[in-house]
Amino acid sequence: MKNGNRFINVLVPLISVLLSFLIGCIIMAALGANPLTALQALWKGAFGNLRNVGTTLSRATPLIFTSLCACFAYRCGVFNLGGEGQFIMGSVVCCYIATQSGIEGLPAIILCLIVGALAGGFWAAIPGILKIYRGQNEMIISIMLNYVATLFMGVVYTDWLRDGSVPQTVPVPDASKLSRLFGLRTTTAFIIALVVGLLVYYFLFNTSKGFQLRAVGLNMTAAEFNGFAVKKYILYSFIVSGAIAGLGGSAELLGTQFNLINGFAAGYGFDGVAMALIGQLHPLATILVAIFFAALRVGSTTMQAATGVPTSVSDIIQALVIVFTVAGLAMVKLPEFKALVDRVFSKRKEAV
Amino acid sequence: MYLSELLRMEHVSKRFGDFYANRDINLSVRRGEVHTLLGENGAGKSTLMNVLIGLYQPTEGSIYLNGQKVQIDSPAQAVRLGIGMVHQHFMLVEAMTVFENIILGDRNTKGVFIDREARKREILELSERYGLDVELDKPVTEIAVGAQQRVEILKALYRGAELLILDEPSAALTDIEVEGLFKIMNKLTEEGKSIIFISHKMREVMRISDRITILRAGEVITTLERAGTDGQELANLMIGRELTPSHYEKAEASGDPVIALRHVDYQKTSKHNGLNGVSLTVGRGEIVGIAGVDGNGQSQLAQVVTGVLTPDSGEVDMKGTRVAKFTPNGFILENVSHIPEDRNKMGLIGDMSVKDNIVLKSTEAPKFSQAGGLRLKKKEIREYAEQMREKYDIRCTSIEQQSRSLSGGNQQKVILARELESDPDLLVAVHPTRGLDIGATRFVHDTMVEARDKGCGVLLISADFDEILEVSDRIIVMFEGQVMGVFSGKNPPIEEISLAMAGK
Amino acid sequence: MDMTFISNLLLASVRMATPLIFLALAELYSQRAGLVHIGLEGLAAIGSLTGFLVSLITGSPFVGVLAGAAVGILVNMIYAYATIHLCAEQIVYGMAINIFAPALAAFIYRVYFGAGSELVQVELMKPLSAILGIPTDNFFAALLLDQTLMVYLAYGLVIFTAVYFNKTKSGLNYKAVGEYPKAAATLGINVIGTKYVASVICGALAGIGGAYLTTCYTTTYVDGNVAGRGFIALAAVIFGRWSSSGVLLACLFFGFCDALQIRLQVGSFGVPYQFFQMIPYLATVMVLTIIGIKKAGPKGVGKPYRREER
Repeated sequence: MKNGNRFINVLVPLISVLLSFLIGCIIMAALGANPLTALQALWKGAFGNLRNVGTTLSRATPLIFTSLCACFAYRCGVFNLGGEGQFIMGSVVCCYIATQSGIEGLPAIILCLIVGALAGGFWAAIPGILKIYRGQNEMIISIMLNYVATLFMGVVYTDWLRDGSVPQTVPVPDASKLSRLFGLRTTTAFIIALVVGLLVYYFLFNTSKGFQLRAVGLNMTAAEFNGFAVKKYILYSFIVSGAIAGLGGSAELLGTQFNLINGFAAGYGFDGVAMALIGQLHPLATILVAIFFAALRVGSTTMQAATGVPTSVSDIIQALVIVFTVAGLAMVKLPEFKALVDRVFSKRKEAV
Repeated sequence: MYLSELLRMEHVSKRFGDFYANRDINLSVRRGEVHTLLGENGAGKSTLMNVLIGLYQPTEGSIYLNGQKVQIDSPAQAVRLGIGMVHQHFMLVEAMTVFENIILGDRNTKGVFIDREARKREILELSERYGLDVELDKPVTEIAVGAQQRVEILKALYRGAELLILDEPSAALTDIEVEGLFKIMNKLTEEGKSIIFISHKMREVMRISDRITILRAGEVITTLERAGTDGQELANLMIGRELTPSHYEKAEASGDPVIALRHVDYQKTSKHNGLNGVSLTVGRGEIVGIAGVDGNGQSQLAQVVTGVLTPDSGEVDMKGTRVAKFTPNGFILENVSHIPEDRNKMGLIGDMSVKDNIVLKSTEAPKFSQAGGLRLKKKEIREYAEQMREKYDIRCTSIEQQSRSLSGGNQQKVILARELESDPDLLVAVHPTRGLDIGATRFVHDTMVEARDKGCGVLLISADFDEILEVSDRIIVMFEGQVMGVFSGKNPPIEEISLAMAGK
Repeated sequence: MDMTFISNLLLASVRMATPLIFLALAELYSQRAGLVHIGLEGLAAIGSLTGFLVSLITGSPFVGVLAGAAVGILVNMIYAYATIHLCAEQIVYGMAINIFAPALAAFIYRVYFGAGSELVQVELMKPLSAILGIPTDNFFAALLLDQTLMVYLAYGLVIFTAVYFNKTKSGLNYKAVGEYPKAAATLGINVIGTKYVASVICGALAGIGGAYLTTCYTTTYVDGNVAGRGFIALAAVIFGRWSSSGVLLACLFFGFCDALQIRLQVGSFGVPYQFFQMIPYLATVMVLTIIGIKKAGPKGVGKPYRREER
């Protein structure tokens, strides 16, 4: 039974991806392009050579952080939709340390990452505290704080840390940048993301606290009756989740972006939620989904250059994947569907 | 007087997956009679009635009303056909007034707007005719349970019901209120309405019924005239074998008090959800049964003695020490176990496996993890869960099965395995056998008595009076948040206890 | 701070509140039928794009608004089917709509105008005073007449909603579906049907709310122009305690915050303008924090309804 469930849990996203690509191909054909050529270009752009793989992984890195952020909070039963704001706050604080403190090199990197994580955690603590003490809807609060964080970042790059005439901050000094892996676009930020993913996985499934956190997420009342400090778990899960995003923000600034600029991190929070849902809150699956989404984004540029299909087709495909997966996962839980599966299986058994 | 047939169900079956909740049911209800459906929990009474009111579609079979074959494919259709039901859990919209609840879904009147005056006149006329006295403008949450039931009956009559289904209507009522209900039922049948009365309380069934149909395991056993039978025969037919008065040895004396409450208040102005000056003790090696109609503060009592709720005032001593802070974890550390009233909501993490639920509270123990919980010993956990599965006879496909998909009895066994293996000092069991079959009920009772014999103090809270009588060494009656009396469990004075339960 | 500043501020508040009223009523109708919808932001985005495109093509902002409503309904049918029939979690699915609908809007915009085209502008809906040719030289005349028809529609809908939920039989039945669907069903109320009707109304109103932004407020469409209004509307429903008059007041308050921040930006006072832009978002957080835990709202919200549940 459990294996059957696992099988379906993998099957649903796969079918959703196929359906989404199918619709994507229809759109491409309607736009007058040959879908096969377009898909080929998409693949080549994303994974065609080592350089492109590097670019894809580099694009995936921030997404991994925000999706792990969403994943962690939702495992505890709270919806952190503020990943974007926490990511941004991490990068803003990181930007200050990297450019203003005068510290450079490895100490600066370590300090930046820690402080970035703290900033993200702090930003997430606000909705967490309002949730447990004022019973407030954590979703609305965390979304509102996204806008506040984005505007705050705006103050930083248009005013406080503005670099000359362009509305962007001064860049991170070269010595404090994260090093690239094998000369590719991918940096050690990707390694950090993987390590965080593994840590989250280990914590959730191999420690007692992780076990209890999941129990809280699945049934808060029963968790409370069984002696778990539910409110504490909710607050801590929010803070850790925000810290993951904040760490991601630092790593993104030190590894890829180097300066804050309009549009930095836009959409990463919601993307993270989508990926966590498609990965069904499994941290490792979530990483794969993030890489897949990044590949669609990186590849779509090549696709546009080669076939003229606009990159936003790939956005549509990504959006369809989430629409189909969530609906599909709900569908397979319906009793009617389960009965159908049982009938098919029992018939097969009878036939044997 | 000649009684014509109003309803006939022929060969009705209802299947859920492979499970027949009803199989080949034949039932006939005459005009102006009280027809009782008698059966244990899970005998298929509620399912059959849900078929009749169009909530479920029968898998097979046909239904005739006044000799006409009818298709009841929606509740709206049932209402049109004159079938009304008073559900055991009232179908009242809490955010609305009595008046609004009664006129809800009304199709008989014309116009877009609600004509309050005209509707109220109609309702008052009905309520006078049948002696159903209600306060129309009160929010439905502010009236007593008995009044809520009258609202439900009015709702059905307002829609022109000829056939009224009353699903365990006496379960939540005091004896006095039950008398009132019976008067109303008599009035209704005098006026030619038919009633299907669902119950498993023999005394009431013998008093009010004209005919009795007995259901067992989804099938009709027989239909009898009330005049031609007696309670013993009905009980035997209902259970399917002789009722053996198996009694447990009652403990004469108890040891040191495990928990003692003195003048504990919790929202004491709330009659149904509060505690008002409750004092009681549970000693080692005794089972204290809390008797009373549901919703007289029992839930709150259970949650105070397990640390979920903090009392407004009063003192609670745990093994002789004053409790300063009420947290579930604090009580668990004091070795208090809890079988909560709602297995699925409070007891189990439904989406987690049987194994995970068995070790839910103890993953930090050195037995199951290293370094204070930093690494779970998955192998040991599995082995332990397998042992428990054996010991408590938990029927599941594997210990990895989701606890949500177990039957009620097996879910309760998972909770028992978790709560009793720690050899608790105090066990708080709330409605521990609700919805369980006889075998599982026996198992739960045996386990509780066994725990008592090992020196555990047991606080048993149950709305099932027979269960209280069966296992309690001492019986405490609660009514509207207050303790009405303490009685011995050996040769209990049943009359006195009944009166106390009604607030006398 | 002179009188013109204040009167302009108040006039702007009314205008800024209008899209919020549409969105908040959309949420109210959805929740009253037991469907909590956090995807309004997305519905408004696609409504906004549709309103823009259609009024550009037809030259009529009214047709644009109608088209916005229609597309809002269409997209919301995805949500309706998934949450009503497939019993998908409403919050999760609202989130999916929030990702899907803006992506669709951005895609259509790119395809229609091509990449990197210059800014296209449309003509906005004219205020009533301009249509009637009445000069509006004082505050009250401006308040009453210097508004587009959409503003009147919004306030009309608030009154209609209040009457509908409080005085009509149908409104009572509708509310019962959101409170206790099973009870409603036993009384012969069509629960599933009501939920679909709610989704149609919600989609239409959210689409109109989005279309308002491109037919009455700014002359062009940009990605992200809804700017959190979908979520603020959600807060307005909570703040307004699920009643249409409360929702109106909440929207006026948030509209006031929005108007205030625009006026303050002009004044600037040497403070970076972004701090003023934060006002509506911070106000939302403040308001929610102050009202705290008062559980209200339909009890059946968020729970799937299944007929043959055991």
